[in-house]
Amino acid sequence: MAQYQADIIEQLNAVEVDAHWFRRAFHTFAASFLVYYLIPSDGWVGAIKIIIPTGIVACIAIIDYGRIRGEFDQRRFFGLRGYEKGRPASYLYFGVGLLLLLVLVPQQIAIPCILCVSFTDPLIGESRYYLGKQRAYILGFVVSLFFFLLTWYRAEWWVLLLVALLGASGALIGEAKKWKWIDDDFMIQILPAILLTLFWQVMLLTGNTILPPPLIHPI
Amino acid sequence: MNDAKPSQREAIQNILLRLELWFAPILIIVPLGVSLFLVWDWYARGGSLGLSSYDGELLLGLLILIGNLAIDIPFLRSIRTLRKKG
Repeated sequence: MAQYQADIIEQLNAVEVDAHWFRRAFHTFAASFLVYYLIPSDGWVGAIKIIIPTGIVACIAIIDYGRIRGEFDQRRFFGLRGYEKGRPASYLYFGVGLLLLLVLVPQQIAIPCILCVSFTDPLIGESRYYLGKQRAYILGFVVSLFFFLLTWYRAEWWVLLLVALLGASGALIGEAKKWKWIDDDFMIQILPAILLTLFWQVMLLTGNTILPPPLIHPI
Repeated sequence: MNDAKPSQREAIQNILLRLELWFAPILIIVPLGVSLFLVWDWYARGGSLGLSSYDGELLLGLLILIGNLAIDIPFLRSIRTLRKKG
């Protein structure tokens, strides 16, 4: 049997135990973290709002450090891809990206980015099997565009247009471009956030406040 | 996981099934709960009082609900398939 045939058979066998729906469900689950914005930011509740997510991500980082060092059996980490064995796993990147968005960025910017990592990423991953890579990315871009339009619908029309194009492009580049050390689960949420934050700050310098009113109001 | 041998694969499949069964309720119930809460919050503080400033919560609630249901159905099917294999 030729090497390429053996590789194909091995890949097919791997699909049997592939946790891909599990990974997809984890992605969509992340949208639940928008509940963060329902929690008030005043007093001790505000402090807990930062301490607990930071603590959770720190715990994940410690566990993942142990995994990389070989203290934990790699096989116990499901959904882990082959290339993640020697570097931080995608769930850690996912958590760090989410934490940075929740804590550092206004919700008007963070919410569409979280929606992108929650829904665009699994949508591209799943539709790639049926539509091919190119069409899956186009679909991903359109869906991301929809998320930015939906969350900035109260902004002025030119801001809405620019933000949607900038954000969706950032999300698509974050997903499509493969970086050796940084996972796409991190880039798909952080790259659009960086682009929009820069845009927001530049507009502030020119005296324009472009942020629409918040979508979620604390209880 | 790609380099798993047949015997290893069986073991992985068993552990995978356990993990999926353990996590499934959380992965399914929490997003549904959050989305329904957002819709309820929109109704209680915005919709019933005629305030449009809460409409974003309704949109997000519906989006989370639909997006999660779309993934939860094949996810549950995959668990059922794994269970049959197990």
